[in-house]
Amino acid sequence: MGTTLRVDRRTLLKLGISTGVLASVPLAGCAITGSTSDFLLEFISDSDSPVNSGRTGVLDRESFETLASLCDYVARFWQLPTDLDAYFDQLESDLQLKSREKPAYLTEYENAVRLVNRMQRELESDDQSWSALLFAEFPADELAPTRIGRARRLVFSEIIAHQIPLSAAFRSFGLVNYRGYFGGPYASPDSYRRGAV
Amino acid sequence: MARMLLRTAIGGALSEMASVIIVGSGVAGTVLARQLLANGDHQVTMFEAGPDFAPGNRRIWLDHLVGNDRIYEPFVDDPRTENENFGLRGSRLFMKGGTTNHWGGLTPRFKPEDFELKSRTGYGADWPIDYDEMAPWYARAEILLGVTGDSDNDDPPRYGARFPFPATEFTLGDMVVIDSLESLEISYGHMSIARSGDRCITTGTCDYCPVNARYSALFDLDQLQIEHGDRLTLRTESPVTRILMDGKRRTHSVEFLDLKTGAPGSMEAEAVIVCGGTFESCKLLLSSASRDWVDGIGNDSGHVGRHLIGHPVFFASGVRPGNPDRIANELGFDSLISRHFDSPEYQHKGKMWFSGGAGMTSSLEEQILSDVSRSEMNANVTSGLVVSLGGEMEQFESPENRVTLGRGKTRHGLPTTEIHVGVHEINLEARQEHVQTFVEILKTAGCKEDGIETGALNPDGAHASATCRMSNSDSDGVVDPNLQVHGTDNLYVCSNAVFPSIAAANPTLTLAALAVRLGDYLNGV
Repeated sequence: MGTTLRVDRRTLLKLGISTGVLASVPLAGCAITGSTSDFLLEFISDSDSPVNSGRTGVLDRESFETLASLCDYVARFWQLPTDLDAYFDQLESDLQLKSREKPAYLTEYENAVRLVNRMQRELESDDQSWSALLFAEFPADELAPTRIGRARRLVFSEIIAHQIPLSAAFRSFGLVNYRGYFGGPYASPDSYRRGAV
Repeated sequence: MARMLLRTAIGGALSEMASVIIVGSGVAGTVLARQLLANGDHQVTMFEAGPDFAPGNRRIWLDHLVGNDRIYEPFVDDPRTENENFGLRGSRLFMKGGTTNHWGGLTPRFKPEDFELKSRTGYGADWPIDYDEMAPWYARAEILLGVTGDSDNDDPPRYGARFPFPATEFTLGDMVVIDSLESLEISYGHMSIARSGDRCITTGTCDYCPVNARYSALFDLDQLQIEHGDRLTLRTESPVTRILMDGKRRTHSVEFLDLKTGAPGSMEAEAVIVCGGTFESCKLLLSSASRDWVDGIGNDSGHVGRHLIGHPVFFASGVRPGNPDRIANELGFDSLISRHFDSPEYQHKGKMWFSGGAGMTSSLEEQILSDVSRSEMNANVTSGLVVSLGGEMEQFESPENRVTLGRGKTRHGLPTTEIHVGVHEINLEARQEHVQTFVEILKTAGCKEDGIETGALNPDGAHASATCRMSNSDSDGVVDPNLQVHGTDNLYVCSNAVFPSIAAANPTLTLAALAVRLGDYLNGV
């Protein structure tokens, strides 16, 4: 029943979207059909807590890889370290922890995976779908309780906030330490500071 | 085993195997419990109004790291407990371990002049004990809390006592501030902070330490339960609602609520030690009025709940152009302190200490989520540096500033808190002077004056003090120098509530030192 949402270069440019993301958007823009738009904007919950937080379980491997592909996208477009194999072990361990312990994120993760899969079917490339999932502006007065709003806040933002310190991505900016990075005992040879100052 | 009468009328050690009730599981109750269990042979029951919580838990840490800064929201004050001039703003936590769950770990000692406020300035009250008497307990408290610090800094005097861990090196951000301080001839030093130097791995997530390096009573209590579980009982979600007296002098039991079942209960003990913080400690004494204590226990002279003080805080920040060294926030705690204005010279108008540092304008993840490009992010890292200063100052007390019992009930079944606090003109003037000092420091650091922002907050519950103040005479206060409630034989208060004045420095180390001292006293050491 919804209208087709068009995410084009002009729209992204007006939003101050980076040139990296713009490069991933075809000249004709990427159209999100009405049904997909409705799906993205479906009301899920206005709670700050994860939905079905009492439902615990294991996040299946395929779903993890779908979510982890966000890190690949971020790493490529922001020129962060792209060798993420070791980091993905930690990310998977932590997403599983949040899936099996209450308040459980399992349903939020599964909802986000459905969202990513739907967008990837809709758009021409995975990069386009990630750029739209992260940054496209939707015609909703209140985005937070919708499927896309919740995925952005509780899943995508949290994964990026995990990736920057725990993959040591901050080092590519010349920074010596970062909130969340296990920098080592301050006064020991293993400290983050050795050799840095 | 038969219990012996606990104490003489004029004080002394607890009897062997005495049963002791501690009300409150924050730093005071926990440090005191450690003394009674490790150095004595007593049975300790600790009542905590709030729930249990897990220290060093990966899941909680993840929630704290990736955007859920609300991990402590379920445990904060009743929102009705607010006052225009003394806001609580979630500063207190009702949970196992109390407010040490989210404290900063700053542990400066008070200075010698802080114990002589009245004599030196005419304001407030003197302490009935002095710095030299406190010094040995300060040293022991520093060991118990795992404090890092500069053992060679003798302001205040250390009398040879060494910190258990060396001081944290100054960060690159500290050096920006230090250059400015040296230009202005303002003295500075290393912050002493309760973060065990052998465990801290500098994650910057100190509000919930993943490795239990920053001291928390939560983790300390877990250790105590492992070490002395046969003599320590911790009852969470069990607020003590009343202390019962046998006549005027002796307490024999407490009444409490079991919030899990809703059932009231009572427990007898040979001594009761109230460690419920400045608000709940005085409220419990007021709530325990009886035929013999008509206005509340220890309140015949009307001091219970009065003299409420805290720390006004103020801050300033500015942007210095250029950041070629790519300085960012290195640590999650302060490593620099200036006590230049925390000196006798400034005592008459409100002495202060401050810290500072420098860092980026916004986090990398915030920039990515705002779709700032990599080239723009690179430019943001090197184009400027936010230099920040924050300080606290001494507030002078007034008997009109007080805590009283509200008519409602909190979610813990305790009386709501009424706070009555006016404005201290002299503190406002001093605060303005201190803020202007900050502006000068920032300008000297290279910040543009028109871009410097300043702000101030009235005191809050974090460092609130003095509602059961210590005095030699019951006409001047609520507890004696041994923290025993005047006119009682076996009832004590161990809390910031007993401080006669607040000084400029953070109060936790001084409170821990008083708890160690009380433990020695009760153990007969």
